[in-house]
Amino acid sequence: MSGHAFDGVHVLDFSWVGVGPITTKYLADNGAEVIRIESAAKIDVLRIAPPWKDGQPGINHSQFFASFNTSKKSVTLDLNQPKARELVLRLVPWADLIGESFTPKAMRKWGMDYAQLRKIKPDLIMFSTCMQGQTGPNAMYPGFGQLAAALSGFYHISGYGPDDPPSPPYGAYSDFVAPRLLAAAVIAALDYRRRTGKGQYIDMSQYEAALHNLAPAVIDYFATGRVLGRNANRSDRFAPHGAYRCRDEEGAERWIAIAVASDDEWRAMLAVLGNPACDPKFATLAGRLEHFAPLDELVSRLVRDREAAALTAELQAAGVAAYPVQNCVDLHQDENLEAFGFWHWLDHKEMGPSVYEGLQHRMSRTPGDLRAAPVLGQHTDEVLTGMLGLSASEIEQLRNERVVF
Amino acid sequence: MTCELLKGFRMLDLTDEKGALCGKIMSDLGVDVIKVEPTAGCSTRNIPPFLEDQPGPDRSLYFIAYEAGKRSITLNLESPAGRGLLAELAGKSDFLVESYPVGYLDSIGLGYEALAKLNPRLVYTSITPFGDRGPARNHKAEDIVTWAAGGMMYLMGEEGRPPLQMALPQAGLHAGGEAAVASMIAHYARQTDGLGQRVVVNMQACVVWTLMNEQAMPILHGDHLTRTGVYTGGLGARRKMVYACRDGYISAVVGAGVSTKALVDWLAEAGFATEWMKQKDWTFWTPGIFMKPTEKDLQETDELEDCIQRFFSTMTKREIYAGALKRRLLLAPVADVADIAADEHLKARNFFVPVEHDTLGRALTLPGPFAKLSETPIDPPRRAPRLGEHNQQVLGDLLGLSADRLRELRNSGAI
Repeated sequence: MSGHAFDGVHVLDFSWVGVGPITTKYLADNGAEVIRIESAAKIDVLRIAPPWKDGQPGINHSQFFASFNTSKKSVTLDLNQPKARELVLRLVPWADLIGESFTPKAMRKWGMDYAQLRKIKPDLIMFSTCMQGQTGPNAMYPGFGQLAAALSGFYHISGYGPDDPPSPPYGAYSDFVAPRLLAAAVIAALDYRRRTGKGQYIDMSQYEAALHNLAPAVIDYFATGRVLGRNANRSDRFAPHGAYRCRDEEGAERWIAIAVASDDEWRAMLAVLGNPACDPKFATLAGRLEHFAPLDELVSRLVRDREAAALTAELQAAGVAAYPVQNCVDLHQDENLEAFGFWHWLDHKEMGPSVYEGLQHRMSRTPGDLRAAPVLGQHTDEVLTGMLGLSASEIEQLRNERVVF
Repeated sequence: MTCELLKGFRMLDLTDEKGALCGKIMSDLGVDVIKVEPTAGCSTRNIPPFLEDQPGPDRSLYFIAYEAGKRSITLNLESPAGRGLLAELAGKSDFLVESYPVGYLDSIGLGYEALAKLNPRLVYTSITPFGDRGPARNHKAEDIVTWAAGGMMYLMGEEGRPPLQMALPQAGLHAGGEAAVASMIAHYARQTDGLGQRVVVNMQACVVWTLMNEQAMPILHGDHLTRTGVYTGGLGARRKMVYACRDGYISAVVGAGVSTKALVDWLAEAGFATEWMKQKDWTFWTPGIFMKPTEKDLQETDELEDCIQRFFSTMTKREIYAGALKRRLLLAPVADVADIAADEHLKARNFFVPVEHDTLGRALTLPGPFAKLSETPIDPPRRAPRLGEHNQQVLGDLLGLSADRLRELRNSGAI
């Protein structure tokens, strides 16, 4: 096969913000035709969120949106208008998959829930993803990934210790957990439909999906009542284990992450650091785990005047796991991401060329292919004319009625 | 019973903690996932903590969680007989996922090229810490190291204090999830034209993806973000993400339109809001999220956040969350696993599932299906396997090896 895995697959995507769009991005970047139905009345919040081109806000200036919506088309309608919904319903037979991520009542209110859409297209696959799923007492509770990350336990296990407040992961953490699970299920459902002719409905709670990244702690609690808490970078397997400050560079702090599993690795690390005299209690892993605090002090002292990148090279050559703690400037200079071909320059219609996260995997035979995200409503005319056969004057009329934007 | 979705497909799982979640997801979707373990056992069996802190091959909580639903065979890949059996199994499989050091399986004749000759349909997915091409391709990488390399660690913690990992390492879980999606993309292509392919997953890149596009800040806004503890934002804007309450912490988002108004109304009812707060139109007040706040914005933010903090200090997580649900605030408790286990919403959805573990002589409660599928429901979780539990089923029944041959292999240390 030449081309992409999902050539010929059609997706009508009502989803917004993180989980839904990231899920359909997997399909779009691999050849599916994904049409985002955007509401001009209630704009995708990412379209107005930074980072912005030149630091200036604007609905077509957000790389946040542009990153999650590569390779898609954008059609802008006001779904609160019956005429807009009539148009959308005419696109349903075309769609193999429909996605949405509103709070559960929205699609029902518009008469576009799965039961209704299935009448038009019996083998339709549809996913709904929201904070807490379609059913249950809190189903209607709105929110986004920063809150889901707190709700599903990640904040509580991030921080220096029980007496310090949580130091949460950056951003909407659960938005980067759920799409991997949802995309795997959606692709499996597409494959199943191709084999059996049967569509289906997928209800994903982002809260539940995220809890799979916490599963060992959940199982532990149910079994023994132990509650996992925050404890800086302490490990029960590795010592030393953490981030240690190196020599400042260009006036900025530099840190190195190190994880030492075995006594051999520990001795190799000491050799790299000039074989300093050190307490015999550190000679064994058990001793190092037990005396982690003085061990951290020792390592901190030993690496403080080292240069992080050079020390990484020396430690790795000696068989010790290490890497500089990278900030977002470093990421763009990282030789390994570069060699993988991770960064992609895309030429966005209004933002012009900018560098984007590429795919986190590489395929030998049907590699994905990113195209720049659409500006708001970029494909409205194309879809209304090409797919629904509307004339220019009909579209003009709909614009005047504020059905189409 | 297995999920009908991918029933009939088989995956060989040669991963450690860099990818165990991949096979778990595939197993949930109905794939027959065979964990191929060294004769001493997969390294995930040794990951602490252990159930009741008693080490044992079936007692690692990590193993219990992420090897659930898989079958287990033992193969010594250092022996020619073991390698031969793996190749034979690859001939009867649809997927292979592995996380050995880059090049190891190639070096023992079990790389993609070799196995694709036997089975052109095979989707062969390699999970690597830093990709297969860069200078660090052979570097060692425990989870914290890729967390650091991918940029998340730098952003977690407080200024002047060390960057942080979570207490339950996450990078390998992202890599495992990504490996499942990538394997499925290749599967879809294979079901189109019958040909498999090689997939390489990059764990460092998986972590970069979790940064919510922060990577673009230096280029578009002239600087990168730093660690800001309980605050988020940066480059002039900031907002508090975490507030203390009587029995823990609350995460709340203020400065996002309607929800701020509802929160201020609550502060007013409880007698905490000041006069200017009651008078202000909060609808379009979004300084924390949309950057470039004015001095006045920052001052108002400080006063409002102080006021919220005073109010929340009088209540428990549960009380605040209940109020927030009623008022539709953008707020959530900073839940620990005890809160999660007690959550009525999850109970109503029957999310947690008791699973009998005859390997341990007890039942354990596991997270249930990660999604609810109407036509092909994901089945309740099944327990993780004993070491080599399915040697007979897989090598005997599937490969057709005789009892004598199996005994021979066992005696020679191949299985």
